[in-house]
Amino acid sequence: MNPTNTKKVAFKTLGCRLNQYETDALVTDFDNAGYQLVDFDGSPDVVVVNTCTVTNQSDQKSRTVISQAARKNKDAIVVVTGCMANNFKEKLESQENITFVVENNRKSSVLALVDAHFSGEIIHPNQLPQDVFRYEPVQKSLHTRSAVKVQDGCDNFCTFCIIPMVRGRAVSRPVEEVLESVRKTLENGFKEIVITGVNIGRYEDGEAHFEDLLEKILEIPGDFRVRISSLEPDGFGDRFVELFANPKLMPHLHLCLQSGSEKTLLRMRRMYDVEQFRKTINQFRSVFPDFNFTTDIIVGFPGETEEEFQQTIDAVKEFNFSHVHTFKYSVRRGTRAERLENHIPEKVKNARSLQIRELSEENKLNYFTSFIGQTQDVLIEKISQGIANGYGQNYVPVRFKASKAEKNTVHSIRLTEIRGIGENMYVFGELND
Amino acid sequence: MSLIKHDIKIDESFYKVDEIRQLTDETFSLKLPKARFAFKAGQHISLGIKGDYQSREYSIYSGVNDNNLEVLVKEVEKGYFTPKLRKLKAGDLVEIHGPFGKFGMEPKDAETGKFVFIASGTGIAPFRSIFRTYPEIDYTLIHGVRYSTEAYDRNEYASDRYVLCSSRDQKGTFQGRLTGYLKNCTFTPETQFYLCGNSDMIFDALEILKDKGFERDQIHCEVYF
Ligand SMILES: Cc1cc2nc3c(=O)[nH]c(=O)nc-3n(C[C@H](O)[C@H](O)[C@H](O)COP(=O)(O)OP(=O)(O)OC[C@H]3O[C@@H](n4cnc5c(N)ncnc54)[C@H](O)[C@@H]3O)c2cc1C
Ligand code: SF4
Repeated sequence: MNPTNTKKVAFKTLGCRLNQYETDALVTDFDNAGYQLVDFDGSPDVVVVNTCTVTNQSDQKSRTVISQAARKNKDAIVVVTGCMANNFKEKLESQENITFVVENNRKSSVLALVDAHFSGEIIHPNQLPQDVFRYEPVQKSLHTRSAVKVQDGCDNFCTFCIIPMVRGRAVSRPVEEVLESVRKTLENGFKEIVITGVNIGRYEDGEAHFEDLLEKILEIPGDFRVRISSLEPDGFGDRFVELFANPKLMPHLHLCLQSGSEKTLLRMRRMYDVEQFRKTINQFRSVFPDFNFTTDIIVGFPGETEEEFQQTIDAVKEFNFSHVHTFKYSVRRGTRAERLENHIPEKVKNARSLQIRELSEENKLNYFTSFIGQTQDVLIEKISQGIANGYGQNYVPVRFKASKAEKNTVHSIRLTEIRGIGENMYVFGELND
Repeated sequence: MSLIKHDIKIDESFYKVDEIRQLTDETFSLKLPKARFAFKAGQHISLGIKGDYQSREYSIYSGVNDNNLEVLVKEVEKGYFTPKLRKLKAGDLVEIHGPFGKFGMEPKDAETGKFVFIASGTGIAPFRSIFRTYPEIDYTLIHGVRYSTEAYDRNEYASDRYVLCSSRDQKGTFQGRLTGYLKNCTFTPETQFYLCGNSDMIFDALEILKDKGFERDQIHCEVYF
């Protein structure tokens, strides 16, 4: 830490867990360098906006945050990074309210860029080293859970997806480096780590695949929990299921189905079909009946007929996802789907999206209700007005009267009732340990 | 202690077009120097033209040990990219990223397995690469086209392994769509199927194969559009 540094830094993150992890790692960097972490209203000297470009909506949100950041902090240097920095580099660079535009593969060097700026050096972000795994283990996070990045990029080229263009091709972090990062993160006091990447099922370091890496992470001694951020549903075998018998590995997967129609899946260039997806779900639930599956669904993909949409509805019902992250299809420039025929009118997309969201809420209520009367081990993430908030093993949000329980500790909670609705639904319970 | 740092691979490079082989009025192949480009048979590349921001994916048409890296391109009427590719001349620069994809088989499986390749139009490209890479492979190639002139490089395949299904002329092995032919075929249970081309053909062929009792895990797909 540099005690002479009196500068303040503020961060804003949009989009996925991977982005969140990368911000957390940057927070650690700035904290170690003596910067004070403040929010946008705390007169920062540096504002870092870590953007997302996965949908038109995320572009819009990113733009709004950038202009708010710049407007509120006229004297601060504004650094824009993340996927939008890759997708709209030139456009962002020409904006006067932005000081630096840093692409994803140079994001880990934002501190070096900012430090150089304050010491009067003139460096262009293009001169920064390119390394997607350069991040230090997270020490100071905006959260109690810490992600560990094991992989970046994707070569699948699903027809709707901009990620291969903005994150580059698939690369995996060497096993030893991942293990070292996990150990450090645990030493820094984190009780739960989330394995993160763009397409982590495709992890490959020499002979080691994702299952091998996961097994090694679980072998690390200590009392901690492991979650997997989100997975593409192809290429798992029995061994993957067996790993979940380890109590460190939490029984929840976010498996991206995208559509329940075989035809739509082919037009999306997805690598699996509904039958294979069904097999995976059944494999898990035959061993772990209350295993939690959540998913992503895109509605209104070009050419999606009423019948194809109905197949998606049927799949959401059958697979009993406790939560469906619903995206209305939006065109991403340069993707193959942009050039597909029969784009769906906005009105139809809205109606389909609503149907899926309603179904998702129904599923969630049923899933949460199935836990009433049971106990879950909850890691406390926040305590506010005497009420502790956290998640049980199955990623069910739980609240309870904290009594003497402290943040970042795990407690057995008996679940008693469902409270809240929709996105804000949670299960209330009482301490049982 | 700081973590191990490592360099990132830069996977883009420019290649000079060596030769253009005109195969039909609409279809041609681009031959590029192979240089150090390493790939597995069945994979694709992303191809760009110098000075143009767009790029498109193309299956590699040549074998792993061929002297050139070759792609097969059909000019699409009103398409954005293919009319530009059509205008390229020997000596022009193209930009290549890749190789990408998992479509293909392990070398040891190519030696021992039994394969049926099903292609529509330019979807034949990865199969030529596979067959040139593993000359001993046990395969049948079912190729669906509109006119038999689209049987690209037909003389390279043994006539008892290549089935041409032409829907708009009488000169194929079978007259009609390849799915019509497929319905009446029988295959041994251990056959591995590889399907490549447009998604409608792939969907129909998948249904036929599943109806015949084949598992989805035996069927591998590469969708072009
Ligand atoms: C993994 C992969 C591999 C591919 N390999 C090949 C290949 O080896 N050879 C090849 O010619 N194309 C291949 N394609 C398709 C190719 O990427 C382009 O889409 C195609 O060349 C048309 O580009 P365009 O810009 O001219 O037309 P676009 O403006 O991109 O497309 C217009 C329309 O043309 C139709 N179309 C696209 N490709 C073809 C085609 N090959 N034949 C007939 N109609 C088509 C579709 O309906 C599409 O919506 C592949 C695609 C993928 C995803
Ligand atoms: S698997 Fe498909 S959706 Fe996921 S990042 Fe890769 S291209 Fe995008």
